[in-house]
Amino acid sequence: MSELVRSPGVGPASVEHPAIIPLRERFGDAVIRHEIVAGDEHVVFVDPAAILKILQWLKESPDQRYDFLSDVTAVDYGGGRPIQVVYQLFSMPHCRALRVKAELPLSQLEIDSVVPLWDTANWLEREVYDMFGISFRGHPDPRRILMPEDYGEGHPLRKDFPLRGRFSRAEQTRQALAGAPEDHLPVESGTGGEPRIVPWQEIHAAAQVPADESDD
Amino acid sequence: MSRRTLEYEVSRTPELGMDFRTRDGLLSPTELPEPELGSENMLINIGPQHPATHGVLRLVLELDGETVVRCVPHIGYLHSSFEKLGEYRDWNQIVTLTDRIDYLAPLIYNCAYVMAVEKMMGVEVTERCKVVRVICMELDRIFSHLLWLGTWAIDVGAFTPFLYAFQERERVYRLHDAYTGARITTSATRIGGMMADLPPGWTEGVREFVNTLPRTLDEIETLLSTNGIHLGRTLGVGVISGKDAINSGLSGPNLRASGVPYDLRKDRPYYDYESYDFEVPIGEHGDCYDRYLVRLEEMRQSCHLLHQALDRLPDGPINVDDPRVVLPSKTDCMDDMESMIHHFKLVMEGVKAPVGESYFPIEGSKGELGMYVVSDGGSKPVRWRIRPPSFVNLSVISKLVEGSLLADVIVVNASLDIVLGEIDR
Amino acid sequence: MIREPSSAAGLPGEIFGSGTPTFLTTKIDFVVNWSRRNSLWPMPFGTACCAIEMMAAAASNQDLARFGMERMAFSPRQADVLICAGRVPYKLAPVLRRIWDQMPQPKWCVSMGACASSGGVFDVYSMVQGIDTIIPVDVYVPGCPPRPEGLIYGLMMIQEKIRGESLSNHPELRREAPEEAGRPRASAAEVTALSGPFGNSTRQEQSGGVATNLGLSSKGPVSL
Repeated sequence: MSELVRSPGVGPASVEHPAIIPLRERFGDAVIRHEIVAGDEHVVFVDPAAILKILQWLKESPDQRYDFLSDVTAVDYGGGRPIQVVYQLFSMPHCRALRVKAELPLSQLEIDSVVPLWDTANWLEREVYDMFGISFRGHPDPRRILMPEDYGEGHPLRKDFPLRGRFSRAEQTRQALAGAPEDHLPVESGTGGEPRIVPWQEIHAAAQVPADESDD
Repeated sequence: MSRRTLEYEVSRTPELGMDFRTRDGLLSPTELPEPELGSENMLINIGPQHPATHGVLRLVLELDGETVVRCVPHIGYLHSSFEKLGEYRDWNQIVTLTDRIDYLAPLIYNCAYVMAVEKMMGVEVTERCKVVRVICMELDRIFSHLLWLGTWAIDVGAFTPFLYAFQERERVYRLHDAYTGARITTSATRIGGMMADLPPGWTEGVREFVNTLPRTLDEIETLLSTNGIHLGRTLGVGVISGKDAINSGLSGPNLRASGVPYDLRKDRPYYDYESYDFEVPIGEHGDCYDRYLVRLEEMRQSCHLLHQALDRLPDGPINVDDPRVVLPSKTDCMDDMESMIHHFKLVMEGVKAPVGESYFPIEGSKGELGMYVVSDGGSKPVRWRIRPPSFVNLSVISKLVEGSLLADVIVVNASLDIVLGEIDR
Repeated sequence: MIREPSSAAGLPGEIFGSGTPTFLTTKIDFVVNWSRRNSLWPMPFGTACCAIEMMAAAASNQDLARFGMERMAFSPRQADVLICAGRVPYKLAPVLRRIWDQMPQPKWCVSMGACASSGGVFDVYSMVQGIDTIIPVDVYVPGCPPRPEGLIYGLMMIQEKIRGESLSNHPELRREAPEEAGRPRASAAEVTALSGPFGNSTRQEQSGGVATNLGLSSKGPVSL
């Protein structure tokens, strides 16, 4: 993860990027490091606590004007390492791209939402929450987007989430059809009574889910 | 290499202008005086199984009579976890997954993925491969827009353009089939090149397709572009300004129809696109009609590009001669022990990419398609992220539709040209 | 499964022998089956790539109108054949089941493509490993995606199946228990057997495949 060194890219290696020095001057220690990957792509690692201020400056400063947010995503390297939240920015007036990353420790997967800056971030951050479990403070609509809203198995793109899911196929089939098509309430497997949302860790511990899903 | 603003003959008379709903004497329902009767808004559900949602999209609408007060889209009904599956597949095996993301333009996604990985690895493909990939991408851009055109016509109410468009698509299916062996799930690219070189006669087939396509486009245009019903349903509907479009992350024809001249082939060019002579149509009003005109014109421009690409197709090897990524030839394998071991390792262990990452955006048929690949030195990615243009394009639908009539919802949805496979991945 | 007629079946001469076909029922069967199979209205439950091939099958090159199927019934109440074209995630599964339940009898189901038949390439947390765990399937059309000709062949197999039906065993054939609505078609044991490690991708039984051996298709194997 921190071994991202300069890989041989196809373009000329350009060490200059007009955002880096002004960023360092303005935000000092919040800008942790700067890397060049794939030959000519610039990546800036910043302190997650300062992400909103930094992105706001990048969007509004007349020399930067990163008015187009291409993508918000996250990378989980596994093994207990921090999860990186990645922002791909593009400036239409200046025709420049920049990648901003913030590393979140697994014990504190929270970061400010950038929806106030770009509307693009609305759905993109919902997907990052759905897939990785990162909470975005101040997001207007913090629901899951791709999985059913009461999905009980966790956050799929985390490295500790098995490919075939945590519940058995029979249980997944039963749960899928258990409620009305409009809602997806996971029912405590095996017992009757009032349905309540059960965290997957409890079910995993209680019912012996076959743990044979080793990755191929 | 110029951009041009579309000019079309239909005059924006006040009756057909964007404010036609509020001309004198006609008030929209939300402006009428408060009725004395109590009334409730109606909640209706469109989809996920619906002929006009272009896939399994669910729109929950709150209606005041025929006017949409709120629109909440629900997605995820086609979530196939491509990104998770990619973490369990070798770099070359992922190419087969990319066909199934956007099944309307598979070659574009094949190319986009390997281009990102090649950038990350520092592999430079041959000149012939570059031109072949440009041909594939432009052919599939036309392919995707043809399907959009056919289904757009159906949504607006016309059936015949669908048949014409699909007849043209059949010819592209045959081209796909002749080159890759499959009609839709082409899987044509590999890291460092393509699955095979072009079969003999294929370029003539493409040329013949490109020569006769404009006539079909003219026929469809005759049916639609000045058709009163079509105009009435699309002029002034689903308007978004350029500034809002940029802030919402729209890209591709949706963004250009709002007047923003951003095309990755021109602004962040790759594969020598700056040396091709083509124009990028830009709309003015940002409504559905402009999006329709932009896509129609893009098809013609792609034909123009294809002519140039076919003319400049150089001879030479299709795969780069880089032992890290490309299998040695079979004759070498049979003669030479080293080549056999090399072949064995590449097949059994897969291509190994060095530590690195790359985000490579290209101009897909739906918008800015970026593949973000991260490697930790192994034969499988740590992270494969698809920046899906339709996902971001669809997120503006609430803004476009609130305040319009129910019938406009279908038209706006069709004008955004979404593909659910890419939205839900 | 077609139940054997009981021994106290109708005497010869009874018009609608309970269980045994008679001269009149075979003639009526012929007419009814002929009209049914030549005017099937498909319910296109298209989700992904297979849906595009289904649209191509309906377009002019490989024309479904030849079979009387150009009128796609988007309302399940008016449909005869459910063509499930494309991958079905668990989020979509209740929708599919409800649409199947909403279709009135007589109804048939075509599972088009590898993903609908068995999960296809997607042996992942979100994908149903074959829609036959949810609804009864009559014909599976393999392919990724199958060519339109393949879908047409599958629809012709449905037509053959209809040719073999008879009014005399209609009640058994068409009976659906109301409490089964909304429930998965396959029991938990069957689903587990199908999706053991690589269960649905490498266990290739000799005849018919895994589903038929477990008796999962709705009316038994097709006999031509």
